[in-house]
Amino acid sequence: MKKRGIGVASMFYGMGYGFSRQDIGSAEIEICEDGSVTLRSGEVDYGQGSDTIFCQIVAEELGIRYDSIQLITADTFTTPNAGPTSASRLTYVTGNAVLKAARALRKNLQAIAEDFLDETDLLFADEEVFSEAHPDKRLSFSKLAKEGHLRGVPMMEAAWHDITTGDVDPKTGQGNAYSNYSYATHLAEVEVDTETGKVEVLRLIAANDVGKAINPASVEGQVEGAVAMGVGYALTEEIKQEKGYVKTKNLGEYMIPTSLDIPEVETHIVEVPISSGPYGAKGVGEPALIPTAPAILNAIANAIGVRVCELPANLENLHRLIREKEKGDA
Amino acid sequence: MQRFEFYSAQSIQDALCYLSERGDQCKVIAGGTDLIPALRNEDLRPAYVLNILEIDGLRGIRESEEEVWIGPATPFTDMVESDVLNRCFPSLVAAAASVGGPQIRNRGTLGGNIANASPAADVLPAALALESELELQSLHRRRLMGLEKAIEAPYRTCFGKDELLTGIVIRKLKPGTRSAFEKLGRRNAMARARMNISITLGLGPDETISMIRIVPGAVMPVARRMEKAEQALLGKKANEALIEEASGRLVDEMTEVTGHRWSADYKVPVLRNIFRRILMQMLTS
Repeated sequence: MKKRGIGVASMFYGMGYGFSRQDIGSAEIEICEDGSVTLRSGEVDYGQGSDTIFCQIVAEELGIRYDSIQLITADTFTTPNAGPTSASRLTYVTGNAVLKAARALRKNLQAIAEDFLDETDLLFADEEVFSEAHPDKRLSFSKLAKEGHLRGVPMMEAAWHDITTGDVDPKTGQGNAYSNYSYATHLAEVEVDTETGKVEVLRLIAANDVGKAINPASVEGQVEGAVAMGVGYALTEEIKQEKGYVKTKNLGEYMIPTSLDIPEVETHIVEVPISSGPYGAKGVGEPALIPTAPAILNAIANAIGVRVCELPANLENLHRLIREKEKGDA
Repeated sequence: MQRFEFYSAQSIQDALCYLSERGDQCKVIAGGTDLIPALRNEDLRPAYVLNILEIDGLRGIRESEEEVWIGPATPFTDMVESDVLNRCFPSLVAAAASVGGPQIRNRGTLGGNIANASPAADVLPAALALESELELQSLHRRRLMGLEKAIEAPYRTCFGKDELLTGIVIRKLKPGTRSAFEKLGRRNAMARARMNISITLGLGPDETISMIRIVPGAVMPVARRMEKAEQALLGKKANEALIEEASGRLVDEMTEVTGHRWSADYKVPVLRNIFRRILMQMLTS
């Protein structure tokens, strides 16, 4: 018989390392005489989208196109240390360093532009700087850069951002362990085939509080990917070991879900800005994964009254639990 | 990296000549979805690899009044999209559609699935439940062999070293006969069958079961018809008790072959469940 159920799970998650562990990010931005902009940071984008986010931040502050920015990352010879890509921290920590460096440069540029245009109500947009009240008073970004170099104004700024927290009370374990927290709630609807133990995930709704979505499409992608990972974590992914040897040899045996195993994910981006994040943003990398599997397991419990306490809820494990329940009920 | 001679035959005759001289140390390749991983893993070390994918005469689906001929180098995708197969043998289409993913189905072939003789082959149960016949040719001989006789052991057929599978022939089903296939995998694509089953069912005018062939897959070393379960149903009108009895015989017969292994805790009840479900669906559809 096929039975349906709905489950919900919520989580909160500390961003960055917390517990007084070192947590720093840094960035350098340089503007050349021709107006080209280079951003250097030791950050590593291994798919989560931090490269894009950082270029967006620089572009936003300097009023230039984000795809015009030269980006040099993850090179210990040339880039300042931005800390690891982990703990959902890059946008939140290193993003702040990028923002600081960009704002410092903008301040330098603003001073030149005020002098040059004889106006103070200046806007930076579309590769130009112009007066809000007198929009005909304008200067191209490249001209401004050239002017900066001619006048000997610093056209390079570096910034450092530190969110290293205090520690909790060693005696009580009480205190604020993390710089800030992220929140999420996921809902899953499943259909359980009680005769085979097969679970079909019919619907997934994911609401993540990201503070501010600097790149909403990227957040959506991050959430969808994390949710798919959560489905695998809940239902199929397993590393088998025997006497300490890993017996799961490859991805033919380690069952990650395919696109046919993941329903459409309904993503809700919740924005409750926090003052400690760039534009109010929080990390979303890990938080998007955390509630998915519990929501699915709650949905299974709702469907068939069986609590899964050991992952994955694969064919054999779930079928065994269903039969144990049937015996108990009988 | 292994070294071997690779030859692309341009005609059946050409391939048979090649096999007649080198058959002992030769592996035939069509889509390569089984062979290429085996070569990479060095499970096989052939001196020669004979490619048959460029031979027109080994590909395609042809219908005559009595039967349907399928070329062994016909990819699963062509089977899934074939009007003839969808009309005549829905079970075979369902089995072909359950193989891997689109890329695998574009490359992998019916003949390859048969000749590789994996215990978990998706198409074998359906082909067996349709009583497929294999057309085998060597340079000097052409013969027909029932598929059920062709597989001796897991990954081993009784094809001669100089023989090439040149066609799969399936007789059309009588009116009132239906076929079905179901696969249970750990995920909905790119999954090896945890188990599968194909049934061909004929009903007489009074709803008695006039013909039935039951072939589970991936539960025994070699897929085959389960005659005890078939006998329990044959000539009778199906009801819940009868299906229950047949399902019991089905799993008993499986356990006789495999012994009671650790995996039986799952396989026995679930095979029973899937069998009951698919048979009920066929009876009520």
